Amino acid sequence: MKIYTGTGDRGKTSLFSGQRVSKVDDRIESYGDMDELNSTIGALVASLGPEDSEPVEELQQIQSDLFAIGALLATTPDSPAMANITGIGQEHIEFLEKSIDRMSEALPELKGFILPGGHPAAAWAHVARTVCRRTERRIVGFLDASFQMQAPDAYQRALIYINRLSDYLFVVARYCNHLFDAPEKLWEK
Amino acid sequence: MKTKAENYASELIERRWLSNKSFEITLTKPKSFEYLPGQWIRLIHGPVERDYSLVSAPTDPNLALCIRNIEGGILSPGLSNAPVGSRFNFSGPHGYFTFRPSIRPAVFVATGTGLAPFVSMARSGVTGFILLHGVNSAENHYYASVFKSTAKQYVPCISETTKLSGEHFRGRVTDYLRKNLAPGLYDFYLCGRRDMIRDVTLLVDEKFSGSFIFTEIFY
Repeated sequence: MKIYTGTGDRGKTSLFSGQRVSKVDDRIESYGDMDELNSTIGALVASLGPEDSEPVEELQQIQSDLFAIGALLATTPDSPAMANITGIGQEHIEFLEKSIDRMSEALPELKGFILPGGHPAAAWAHVARTVCRRTERRIVGFLDASFQMQAPDAYQRALIYINRLSDYLFVVARYCNHLFDAPEKLWEK
Repeated sequence: MKTKAENYASELIERRWLSNKSFEITLTKPKSFEYLPGQWIRLIHGPVERDYSLVSAPTDPNLALCIRNIEGGILSPGLSNAPVGSRFNFSGPHGYFTFRPSIRPAVFVATGTGLAPFVSMARSGVTGFILLHGVNSAENHYYASVFKSTAKQYVPCISETTKLSGEHFRGRVTDYLRKNLAPGLYDFYLCGRRDMIRDVTLLVDEKFSGSFIFTEIFY
């Protein structure tokens, strides 16, 4: 099956809600970064072994959630297509928060800034965290420009989720080092 | 209505030939199965799976699919001669190619059996649209009667060179759009071959900029 259509050969693409927009439109930049974030989490998953099923299952659930946010960002809020969008609910945010709390309990106290790195899985988690922060900045820029700080609830929940996800990925990085007995190196001024 | 895809069992009730290569099959509708006009199902027969858009309306008592019999195809030849009573599994409903009412006129563009989702929409009460159906010979303009009573304008387009009646437009759907559709903003619904979808999309960008486009590719 060929996957190319050629409909974007002249620099435009279609939103899920039907509009044709430039490939550098704020929305496209936002869900493009979301796509990069999802792929980076995929690299993190790939760096974990099958025996590490707990973080893998969580991370794959998060990858599905990111698809849902990508679809939301590709849909204008006044469009009938919005009826097909599941988006992000409060339960998705609580899922991240509970996981952060659970992993944190197993970790030693944080005594300073830590250098991103350690075990390869931890290093990937740090990369994912920074891509996540950039994704968040892109979404904020898009929402500010489009809705003047009055974005619909569905978008605001997605933004909260992405903010929480950065924290989650930071904790995952530490958790991976803990899991694989890789020492955390503190920043020395 | 959000519909979540699940697995179902069904049975062949009837087969009706629409042309020498295309036919419609009617299947029993499982009680709990719901769908929206424009959605498709994944038909499963043994190890073989194929996706087909429904041509029935959600309120119809049975399910109907429009299928092109592809020589050497992996499922359509079997469907073309499967006896009544044959059992199939399917998953569905799938897809988001559903009608979204708006203030802009709707232009439906199909090639071949890409017409299927528009049949379901028309049978479900959608009216007032412009429909272009591109085929390679006049006998493939099946379902014309459905659209004559629902479309504001029904334009059968034929790429073959034989003599045609006055009802047909000779040429591709893109030719018709370029020559005959008045400038303006529209909601374009495109279903069919990849090259048609590409050509119409690029034409819309060029000539009907600001219009909306919804697509479903038939590979």
